[in-house]
Amino acid sequence: MKAFAYVNPTNEQEALAALKAGGIVRPIGGGQDLLARMKDYLDQPDRLVNVKSALDGLVTPTSNGGLRIGAAVKLVDLAGDPRVTKLYPAVATAAGKVGSPQIRHQGTVGGNLNQRPRCWYFRQEEFVCFKKGGNHCFAVDGENQYHSIFGNDGPSKIVHPSSLAVPFVAYGASFRVVGPDGEREVPAADYFTLPTMQTVQKENVLGDDELLTHVILPAPGAVKSGHYEVRFKESRDWPMAFATVVLVMNGASVGSARVVLGAVAPIPWRSENAERALTGKLLNAQTASEAAAAAVEGARALSGNAYKVEITKTAVKRALLQAAGITGV
Amino acid sequence: MKYAWTVPGTNSPLSTSVRRVDGPLKTSGAAKYTYDILRPGMLYGRAVRSPHPHAKIVSIDLSAAQRAPGVKAVAIWKDPGSEVMYHGDMVAAVAADTEERALDAARLVEVRYEVLPHFSREATSMAVDATQVFASGNTRAGQLQEVGDLEVGFKNAAHVHEATYSTQVITHVCLESHGAVCEWNGDNLTAWVSTQGVHATRQQLARALMVPESSVRVICEYMGGGFGAKVSADAPIVLAARLAKDAGAPVRMMLDRKEEHLDSGNRPSAFSKIRAGVSADGQLTAFDGTTWGTGGAGQSAGFPLPYIYQFPNRRRSHTDVYINAGNQRPMRAPGHPQGCFATEVLMDELADLVKMDPLAFRLKNLPPQASNAMWGEYYRVGAQRFGWDKRHPTGDTTPGPIKTGMGLSANQWGGGGRAGNAHVDIMTDGSVVVKCGTQDLGTGTRTLLPIIAADMLGLPVNAVRGEIGDTNLPFAGVSGGSTATAGIAPAIRIASGLARDALFARVAPTLGVDPSTLVASDGRIFAKNDPSKALTWKAACKLLGSEPISVDGKWEPGLSSVNSSGVQFAEVQVDIETGIVKVLRVLALQDCGLVIDRLTAESQVYGGVISSINYALFEDRLLDRNTGQMVNPNMEQYLLASMSDVPQVEVMLMDQPARGVIGIGEPPTVPTASAITNAVRNATGATIRSLPLHPHRVLEALTQAGMGGTSA
Repeated sequence: MKAFAYVNPTNEQEALAALKAGGIVRPIGGGQDLLARMKDYLDQPDRLVNVKSALDGLVTPTSNGGLRIGAAVKLVDLAGDPRVTKLYPAVATAAGKVGSPQIRHQGTVGGNLNQRPRCWYFRQEEFVCFKKGGNHCFAVDGENQYHSIFGNDGPSKIVHPSSLAVPFVAYGASFRVVGPDGEREVPAADYFTLPTMQTVQKENVLGDDELLTHVILPAPGAVKSGHYEVRFKESRDWPMAFATVVLVMNGASVGSARVVLGAVAPIPWRSENAERALTGKLLNAQTASEAAAAAVEGARALSGNAYKVEITKTAVKRALLQAAGITGV
Repeated sequence: MKYAWTVPGTNSPLSTSVRRVDGPLKTSGAAKYTYDILRPGMLYGRAVRSPHPHAKIVSIDLSAAQRAPGVKAVAIWKDPGSEVMYHGDMVAAVAADTEERALDAARLVEVRYEVLPHFSREATSMAVDATQVFASGNTRAGQLQEVGDLEVGFKNAAHVHEATYSTQVITHVCLESHGAVCEWNGDNLTAWVSTQGVHATRQQLARALMVPESSVRVICEYMGGGFGAKVSADAPIVLAARLAKDAGAPVRMMLDRKEEHLDSGNRPSAFSKIRAGVSADGQLTAFDGTTWGTGGAGQSAGFPLPYIYQFPNRRRSHTDVYINAGNQRPMRAPGHPQGCFATEVLMDELADLVKMDPLAFRLKNLPPQASNAMWGEYYRVGAQRFGWDKRHPTGDTTPGPIKTGMGLSANQWGGGGRAGNAHVDIMTDGSVVVKCGTQDLGTGTRTLLPIIAADMLGLPVNAVRGEIGDTNLPFAGVSGGSTATAGIAPAIRIASGLARDALFARVAPTLGVDPSTLVASDGRIFAKNDPSKALTWKAACKLLGSEPISVDGKWEPGLSSVNSSGVQFAEVQVDIETGIVKVLRVLALQDCGLVIDRLTAESQVYGGVISSINYALFEDRLLDRNTGQMVNPNMEQYLLASMSDVPQVEVMLMDQPARGVIGIGEPPTVPTASAITNAVRNATGATIRSLPLHPHRVLEALTQAGMGGTSA
């Protein structure tokens, strides 16, 4: 492992200054992703900037009834926060299922959103793929059972690894980003990027000299929400496909819907098909099934992941049934 | 047999649940595993491995590595001109003052390769027009096995069933990786090795280093698993010794998880194309099997088939197929899980053809019952306990996406074991030491020593100290093939008996009785017919004066047996909308003759069952079909059950004390995966003939069976 410098800024400005030191600089939160990449020689930074003290580690109510979540909040605290559980249950559920208790006690919100892909080709030095400056995505004609079924016409077939990104997009969150030119607020849906040949080495719009500092969740209003993860193993594993649904109710029928799919595309994948299938409909088992079928319309399976289409459909259906409070179907 | 096992008395620890004597040491971290050995001035060795599945080494340039910070020695394992045969094949190794520096330096060793054609799949390697990649050919045909008359067998069949069954390659995934710490003192080598055989490792290490065996001492006090993968002095151990010699300093060389997956053994794949016949009344008539599998780049992949059930007319031909992948090593019941899977899944399919309950069908086709073949009785007892009568016919018809089902399966194992010596010292202060050069893989072997001696000497377990894991102790065999306990327990019992009798002889004159009338029990020695003639254990030992009792025992027949049988039942839940299988409960009935420690014997069964759940659902060594490199050499994408994936497991040890000691390491891991697969079939009506039961495979089978998928 390359020797590296380690700095401990105490506020955002110091952290931003530390990022500009030259060479390869990486911010480190819980380190659950970065340290493993360093040990595997996938990333060899000259300097680590510890942002655990520099960034906000609190969940704070906003003036308009939402919540502002600091990037340094630990997943375990997010999952257990009663305000999060009450207002944004899908966020709490997603946070509570990440990895293992050890990882949730160490990992942060910022780290979860900015972690690099878990694609097994990306994670091994031997495979010099597009994301590592190579000229090939090994998943295309290789072992692609865990790869994307949506948004996979670009160069890289990864799925985005963040469980939190999906409910954040579904609840209409935005991310506060600070950089040398000040701060900006980026809608969560615009933060993550589909790979192009120009952008394939990154998964989002965050610059190397920028920091994601907060997730700002708007007041949820009168919504019903559901979150369902299809997990092969109960813990210490990644969901094979999952969905968050947030429905703005208009009496017994759905006024508007957000249906966002996880582990199926290089970004949190919003299914407008499913949203249209729900809008104006009564929320019941039948509409849940119809919306689930609509959600996977246009899916494009790779050679070995057609089954993911089926389980994604199931995830959407079950998230909707959960939102509707229907059990045993 | 002078020291035949006696029915354990009420005060004897034998056959009771005794906690591991080293439990507190292990849970507190005081127990030192090979990985924990720290020697003064110790260096760290790391390997240079091939990134290619097949290549010729053109040249090796060590100079940059030799100049790297902290590097003290570099050793070549494979010379230029030789070939690497799989991703991860060892080429060279580096020793440096920190592990990180060793790893950095290993990456500076410049190996030039000429990349050669490779195969990552059995089917492509064995294709008739395949390029020859392996010197002796890509395949090796085994002996044709034939019994009875196949033509007659199929003529007598009312139903003939043909299908192909397959199981995947899995790796051992020992929690403690392979490796050693080697330290030279002049020409004498001390090697702390994570090994299943300290004595065997000494012999092989001495040969590899060309030094006298008497100059080598191997120590393994504690280890974190072996499962068959740690029975030889492999490259990392030999290289640690060579690097230590060159550097003039101790060297620790332990593999990391990736190396473990790539190059420390695995269970071979198995493919069985079977044609089987059954009569209208459910009698098996014929079995014709063509099988193949890979044990890697030149190793065999044999397995027993058909398994247990009696096909009077049968034929079987097997071919080993070589691919460019890490070589197999024995893995917990070598061959049996594979043969069990093909046979037991076939049995359920045949039972359906003749419309019989799988249990009744099996009972009809078992070999005659014997003490080492108790399947019939165990099936009946287990069925009662498990609630087999509540099993529905194939296909759960209850509404909703969650279907439940039950399955069963059997095992057999030979085991035995004769290589055991033990030494017992009864000290003049009454303390007792049992010494045996066996090793404890984590199975509880260490705890057996004081139990057996305490039973013989009439003492509590904690009055006896056991010493194991060192070639300075009396010879014992490899802990493999379920032979360790059956090999050492008789030796320990005999040594303890000889020691007790020697003590009796010394104290009898004082008590004024004949030594043959003495009994050792409850911490006392007394005359059987006159309990007033007695001494406490301590007082008796004081009579030894300055000369302790010091005797040796050696394995003799009569205290242990070969061959055992068992059966298992599984209940599962299948989500037909996701293909996810969840095991709800497992019941395991297992014979292991005379139980020495009930707690550790049961633990062996728990461990075996959990391993087999992993085999059934999760584990899969995946090679990239194009590059031949393993894609999941870690513990993230190589899936293993977490505690939350482990179901309720009930163990019924079917004691047969009259048979003496029989090992229990292998058999419990044989049948669980088959029982689970049969339970999935019972739940869904979909037959899955390949492991693991990954959701994609389950959904595919459900679709073929016309069910599954997201319901409307």
